[in-house]
Amino acid sequence: MSKLGERLATLLGLSAPVPTRKYTRDAAIVVLPPPAQVRLALTGLEAVVAAGDEVAAHALVARSVPGARWQRRIHTPLGGRVESIAGAVVVRGAPTSAAAAAVHRDPATLDRDAIVTAARDAGIVGLGGGMFPTYAKLTATHPIDTVLVNGCESEPYFTCDHRVLAEHRDEVECGMALAVRAVGATSSAVIDREDYYPAGYERFVVRDRLGREVPPRHLPRDVGALVLNVQSARALHRAVCLGEPLVSRVITVAGGAIARPGNYQVLIGTAVDEVLAACGADATSAAMIIAGGPMMGHQISAGDTIAAGTGGLLAMTAAEVAARVEQPCIRCGRCVDACPVGLPVPLLIERPGPDVLTCFGCGACQYVCPSAIPLAALMRAASAREIRWD
Amino acid sequence: MKGPFLRSPQSTRGLMIQVLIAATPALIAAVVRLGAPAAAMIVSAVAGAVAIEALVHRRQLGDGSAVVSGVIVVLLLPATTPPWLAALAGATAIGLGKAPWGGLGKNPFNPAALARAVLMVVLPAHFFAPMWRWDAVTAASPLSKEVGATAPGWSALILGDVPGCVGQAAPWTIVLGGLILVVLRTIDWRVPLAYLSTIALIAVVLPGGARVAGHAPWLIGDPSIHLFAGGTLIAAFFLLTDPVTAPMSATARVGFAAVAATATMAIRQFTPYPDGAVLAVLVANACTPWFDRVTVERRITPPRAKRSRG
Ligand code: SF4
Ligand code: SF4
Repeated sequence: MSKLGERLATLLGLSAPVPTRKYTRDAAIVVLPPPAQVRLALTGLEAVVAAGDEVAAHALVARSVPGARWQRRIHTPLGGRVESIAGAVVVRGAPTSAAAAAVHRDPATLDRDAIVTAARDAGIVGLGGGMFPTYAKLTATHPIDTVLVNGCESEPYFTCDHRVLAEHRDEVECGMALAVRAVGATSSAVIDREDYYPAGYERFVVRDRLGREVPPRHLPRDVGALVLNVQSARALHRAVCLGEPLVSRVITVAGGAIARPGNYQVLIGTAVDEVLAACGADATSAAMIIAGGPMMGHQISAGDTIAAGTGGLLAMTAAEVAARVEQPCIRCGRCVDACPVGLPVPLLIERPGPDVLTCFGCGACQYVCPSAIPLAALMRAASAREIRWD
Repeated sequence: MKGPFLRSPQSTRGLMIQVLIAATPALIAAVVRLGAPAAAMIVSAVAGAVAIEALVHRRQLGDGSAVVSGVIVVLLLPATTPPWLAALAGATAIGLGKAPWGGLGKNPFNPAALARAVLMVVLPAHFFAPMWRWDAVTAASPLSKEVGATAPGWSALILGDVPGCVGQAAPWTIVLGGLILVVLRTIDWRVPLAYLSTIALIAVVLPGGARVAGHAPWLIGDPSIHLFAGGTLIAAFFLLTDPVTAPMSATARVGFAAVAATATMAIRQFTPYPDGAVLAVLVANACTPWFDRVTVERRITPPRAKRSRG
């Protein structure tokens, strides 16, 4: 829908409570040229290389500290020289170094262990934002009967998962078949709907597709479902069949300050300002840079880097993110109607109870509140207090 | 800083402005039919409301809710109200209906409805005399139990040749304003729909013997007069839809509107008051906390006993 049409629809009250803006729906994936250097954060990980080492592209550079609950591995997207390992592995690229040749394995010949091992060694994590190791999902002891590949874009503006599905459906479906094989599921489906926000939230995908309610503070696996993000499924395929570790992802770059909004394949560890510059960001009109979506994302600075879970970058103009003066609650109930888990938001903020933990921070309540009360932030604060007292 | 970074274009101030826009056709109709006195009433009532708001909640003046209360209370006043009484009504709406409860969002009763009801008790002579006057003709409301009143036809009901309060100068303008509010999503469409359809239903099914002796015969069996005369339309679109005093859940608002409709019809049929709509709104407002308790508050899990720290 055009911007004008959307504005008209909003004025007439015809649009969904939270608009599912998709300006970049038809923007084919553009592969950005590799940056001069990448920076791979080391939270909870230890480097297996030292400063000064020469590394090949896709080489292992960090892994979980001993005794960690889950095994995580990070590979360098660039071949070159390790500049530093303090807090993050910084690799400066050398044009000559090439990645190891791809292997070609037939998925039909692989058993569960081969799939899980390949996923673990390639460092595949949830690319929907959770960054939970995928191999751990595949080895859960719960009986899983259905694998769902989640192509519902989680946020307004974002279309990267949709594009991956449109352009690489065969790879996604191969990844899905591998997951089915690994967990012994009997059915699977790719889900691609975006008619409401937040349709992409895992428990809503399971509810809408399978009619199974995931109880609060439980996971989809507790009702026999495994939900994989579209890009995680694709990465699983590339890891298992081609031996390629997780080194890149597709992100949506959008917002009023971007001249060429679209979907871009970037190397993990690329600096945010480099990505923005490549998309024609206007530094003077960009009032705020957001990693993740406009609803659940967070503000970052231009010096930060793209992480595996970064679904997109938004460079917003001041008008797009204008703050409004907070007014008293008029008890209109719009927030209660908007909350996808049906929380009585203002009552919980007045008198917080265990229910605040059901809030998953989608921000729909805050979006609709005419009095501009920071409801999501207040719910987050209440949850933090509730957890501390628990 | 964390999201959401987007905000719906709907603001509380915007809601107030939308209500004012929606009330404008009715105000224009009143001025057209009543002339300068109506204009004087509007100005005085708004001035009275804003003056009290400025005294008590100066910083809230900008949200426009005082102006809204002033305008709505005018719609509820008899057509012959002098400016001083209109100013008093506006001042009462804020000074009694809103400020003592803690300002915007805290009041249990709709300020305009409360002001009108209080003044009706304090100054009954002004409210109950047959002073309804359109185009210089004085007549009694068809809802009044006066013998002299006659049954109006459909066109009179819609175009406003029925005696009543200022807001009834042209009932179609109230409907127009209400539709504006529904389309802009300022109000929940369920409320007027549930209220008006329950009124029509009760009017149709009410047995002929259910009226008080002396009531005009057309008050039974014909929903048209109940829908278009009295404050029915104003209550449906401008009073019951006040977000502050209606329940928070959409389902509860339907029950709330049905309570208001039942109370409206009960007052009309079984009491000597000519019009029950305003009082019925207050009755429904009084039920709002109960509706909230059985709907939204129900969803709250009681807190577990907190483990003591240390
Ligand atoms: S209370 Fe939490 S879950 Fe509900 S709408 Fe607000 S942020 Fe979303
Ligand atoms: S949307 Fe805002 S003003 Fe309306 S009830 Fe919720 S918190 Fe109050």
